[in-house]
Amino acid sequence: MNILEIQNLQVSVMNKPILRGLELRLGAGEIHAIMGPNGSGKSTLANILVGRGDYQITAGTIRYQGEDLIVRSPEERAMAGVFLAFQNPVEIPGVSNARLLKEAFNAHRRYGHLPEMDAMTFRTHLQERAKHLGLSDDWLLRPINVGFSGGEKKRNELLQMLVLEPNLAILDEIDSGLDIDALTDVANGINALRNNLRSMLLITHYPRLLEQVHPDKVHVLIGGKIVMTGGMDLAGRLEEQGYGWLSEVAA
Amino acid sequence: MNTPVTLYRDLFTELEKSLPGYDSLPLRGLRQEGMQHFMDKGFPSQRLENWKYTPVKAISQKIYHINNHACQGLDPSDLLPYLIAPLGVYRLVFVNGWFSQTLSDLHDLPDGVRVESMAKLVKDAPDMLEPYLKNKKSGSDQGFTHLNDALWSDGAYIHLSPGTRLERPLHLFFLTATSKKSMMTLPRNIVVAGADSHAWIVESFASLGHFPHMTNAHSTIILHDHAHVHHLLHLGENHSAQHVGTVESTQKGDSRLDSQLFSFGGERTRQEIHVQLAGEQAECSLDGLFIGNGRQHMDFHTSIHHTHANTRSQQLYKGILAGHAHGVFNGIITVPPHVHHTQSNQLSTNLLLSDTAEIDTKPQLEINSDAVQCSHGATVGSLDPEALFYLQSRGLDASTARNLLIQGFAEELLQRITPKLVQNWIEKHFNKGEYHHES
Repeated sequence: MNILEIQNLQVSVMNKPILRGLELRLGAGEIHAIMGPNGSGKSTLANILVGRGDYQITAGTIRYQGEDLIVRSPEERAMAGVFLAFQNPVEIPGVSNARLLKEAFNAHRRYGHLPEMDAMTFRTHLQERAKHLGLSDDWLLRPINVGFSGGEKKRNELLQMLVLEPNLAILDEIDSGLDIDALTDVANGINALRNNLRSMLLITHYPRLLEQVHPDKVHVLIGGKIVMTGGMDLAGRLEEQGYGWLSEVAA
Repeated sequence: MNTPVTLYRDLFTELEKSLPGYDSLPLRGLRQEGMQHFMDKGFPSQRLENWKYTPVKAISQKIYHINNHACQGLDPSDLLPYLIAPLGVYRLVFVNGWFSQTLSDLHDLPDGVRVESMAKLVKDAPDMLEPYLKNKKSGSDQGFTHLNDALWSDGAYIHLSPGTRLERPLHLFFLTATSKKSMMTLPRNIVVAGADSHAWIVESFASLGHFPHMTNAHSTIILHDHAHVHHLLHLGENHSAQHVGTVESTQKGDSRLDSQLFSFGGERTRQEIHVQLAGEQAECSLDGLFIGNGRQHMDFHTSIHHTHANTRSQQLYKGILAGHAHGVFNGIITVPPHVHHTQSNQLSTNLLLSDTAEIDTKPQLEINSDAVQCSHGATVGSLDPEALFYLQSRGLDASTARNLLIQGFAEELLQRITPKLVQNWIEKHFNKGEYHHES
């Protein structure tokens, strides 16, 4: 069964159509990349999947694990295993990373009818994962994203993903603004989470990350539609030739 | 016709003989002087700039009865919900305005630290108190203070000899046991911190029962050279209570005052904090956190007067207002001519949780000297929808997400509370705050 199945998705923002009949099928354990020029609807797709308001879905269906996703609230989606690593995560003064992760983690546990993890065990659980991403213990006590560099914000998103262990992770330009070393750390984080049940959508402009992650498929999104699907060779061609040659396909 | 002012005069005439200090001519004189000023000026008018946003009429119209004796019948276990901690804290308890020996705990006070009931002290040593009781201010905006000058009942007298340290916090607890007969209590506190002394003082107000009552409190804090006083004020009276309070502090050289105000209760609250930095290198920090809901009115006025060079002040007041609550912050910093190298920062930030909540904030500077550093500012905002969505996208339901953001807003001020014992106590009060119920 596909973990995610999007059919004829049409979405507008303030009555302006952004997605115009998008089709996508993502199998369990698969990683798909979505590439496309600015304004093609990549971030809209990411936001729609996690239930952000301000978007009107005018047609189409989104099925997650075979069930309608659109009717669910953002927190229900999160607890059912949908996770978005935000392109520009918001700063939240006064709320520590540890506090958010504890609340979120326990909300997930309750949803799965599991007992909440006690404070000490959770601390260890958290510290192991922070260490994996090269983040210090006092990182966890810092307020969410406050004063973080671009790279730190991305790592923090990945830390949340490592802790919450989603079934479907959407990574919205997780590679933008990263230097080569940080990119490798991020790629390692993604690869560490990879297993035959967890699926991911990588939204990106560049093939650099894809070279380290090796997605199963690469989709090109232009004008609110997937206009072409291929493998890593397609990503390479886009890097060399840009999107111009695809405009005929899109039209 | 009887106006509230003449009724209080009659009450004064009736009670005067039974009030502490009547046997001392100078103290009796001070009370009479207070009454005379009150008769002349009455309650402040809302036409006065500093009282513009305070619903004085609503506070002062009602006539309150004043109790001239201690309240009996409370058991130490009745106090448990209000205590910072059962152990590890010195405690002075006042019920309905009067000191209660049986509910207080002053075991193991260090040598050189004197903590007593004012009512008792005026009998033993009236001359000692006179200089501290003399109110130097008089004016049309001082009505409530004058009423306290005339009718104060009891309170704490704290004297720290030079070099003494109070290692445990000292809790001054003012409890009103309310009844259908609405009561006004008028506590008066004096803190004298000798050179190099150090103390944590917590002053807290609460009500037993839900009937209306009024508190009109006044505290004087004097810090000598190198003294360090933490003064935490917790206002947690019931939702029919009127609270008017003033803290007056004078600081000598190199002294430090950490004032922290937490206002969570009351129907209408007005608290003033005035500080004179009257010695080089004196510094003060005034923090405030207030949470209003329903139709609560919360009104805070601070003034910091840098009379000496090289003095420093910092202020951070945060308001969280829901429902139809109304908050006011009015802070003024003054630096006279020829006073150099002062530093002052003042910030008022406010979080409005509903469309009907209101804040009037006015940070002011009156700087007449050139060589100073100062900044001031005010912000008003609502919960960030981006932040709410972010938390929800991690699995938090809307109400948990909202509460986490509200706590985040207050966190900075809660983190600054010391010692840990007191911090936990304030956090507990904060976490059961009424903002939880507002949509």
